[in-house]
Amino acid sequence: MPVTSTMHPAVGAAFLRRDRAGRALAADAERVALACREMASRFRRGGKLIVFGNGGCGTDAAHITAEFMHPVIVGRRTLPALALSNDCATVTGVSGREGLAEAFAHQVRRWADPADMALGISRDGRCENVLRGLETAGELGLLTVALTGGDGGITAGRGVADHLLAVDSDDPAVVKEVHVTLCHLLWELVHVFFEKAGPVGEGAR
Amino acid sequence: MSTLEDPAAGAVPALYPFPAPGRRIAAPARSDSAAALAEARRSAEEKAAEIVRLRWQVAEVAGDELAECAQEMAIRFAAGGRLFAFGNGGGSADAQQVATAFLHPAYGLSLPALSLTGDVAVVTALSNDVGFEAVFARQLATLGRRGDIALGLSTSGGSFNVLRALEEAAHQGMLTIGLAGDQGGRMAGLGLLDYLFVIPSSSAHRVQEAQATVYHVLWELTQRALGVNPPGTG
Repeated sequence: MPVTSTMHPAVGAAFLRRDRAGRALAADAERVALACREMASRFRRGGKLIVFGNGGCGTDAAHITAEFMHPVIVGRRTLPALALSNDCATVTGVSGREGLAEAFAHQVRRWADPADMALGISRDGRCENVLRGLETAGELGLLTVALTGGDGGITAGRGVADHLLAVDSDDPAVVKEVHVTLCHLLWELVHVFFEKAGPVGEGAR
Repeated sequence: MSTLEDPAAGAVPALYPFPAPGRRIAAPARSDSAAALAEARRSAEEKAAEIVRLRWQVAEVAGDELAECAQEMAIRFAAGGRLFAFGNGGGSADAQQVATAFLHPAYGLSLPALSLTGDVAVVTALSNDVGFEAVFARQLATLGRRGDIALGLSTSGGSFNVLRALEEAAHQGMLTIGLAGDQGGRMAGLGLLDYLFVIPSSSAHRVQEAQATVYHVLWELTQRALGVNPPGTG
């Protein structure tokens, strides 16, 4: 879509930078749907979603947890989700003693049940503690999903995620925005799979 | 075919259907699963296209105002002002993202910014002792001063605690910025905001996604106004 000629050039440039990554997400729809099918299956088995990320990705972890725990659509089933980046006492405590790389892996070991899922969020795929969290989750038999950007970083290289969803941008702000859409889609599509499983309980729609 | 039992008594199960303890949710038949996959893929494609369209709509409607607002923010920062961000639910995560985007930016100048949702002790103390509607306004009354910037997020535009805080900010002479969705709700009727950006969508999810773009663009334009251009743009 063209930028109107009257628009401030810097504003037009900023919005234009978001266009390609936004469009590229549609091409990833199948990949997103497949991840959600497996997540729905894990939730059915009583699994919970364990989410973690650094910086702004930690806010995404909190956000998606709120989506699952408190659905925006009244009557949708609440599903168990936990954001590991929220507990500053534990994150800074583990980081201080064992090192930042262990901040999430340590918590994953305590919380993980085999039916669970781990969702690691890193805008460039190069956050060592997110990688360690995913690796640990994988070793414990969890389904692992990674949201990254650019080329997926070493998250892609080390193959630590069963499902890797990489946003086609190197701009961290743009990656973040598409991650917000991805978080919404993960929630919404998990419920699509629930709906197709038949009635999901009183009040559900 | 559901294995769910009736929700247990009490207010919370009435809000959400819960799986009964120890019971699993029935797995779908194979044909259902294929249909679900097709529907899920279609839904993802639609939503992805929707947010791309919505962003351009926001750019066209609010582009000039975003540039002006960022200019005003830059003037406040240059004079020693600080940014306070607040919202509920997903909006609280956005408030924290706004704070860290300004305070610990990917590039450019680090600017003072604080999310009023970050301190759970303060938030729950105020909620318990005073009331949830005062949770942000009270913090602004204590921390804020003339020349600061208040940025409140509400997808509906109707969050009372966000509205109360914006009123408090205006009362103190702060620059007030509201982010809302749909028609703007009560936030649009406040009549005291310096800037109001309403995302024209009835989907709370798309509103939040476009709001993320709005505050990132405000950040980028604030950096530009302070003399810092994005990498690679000279």
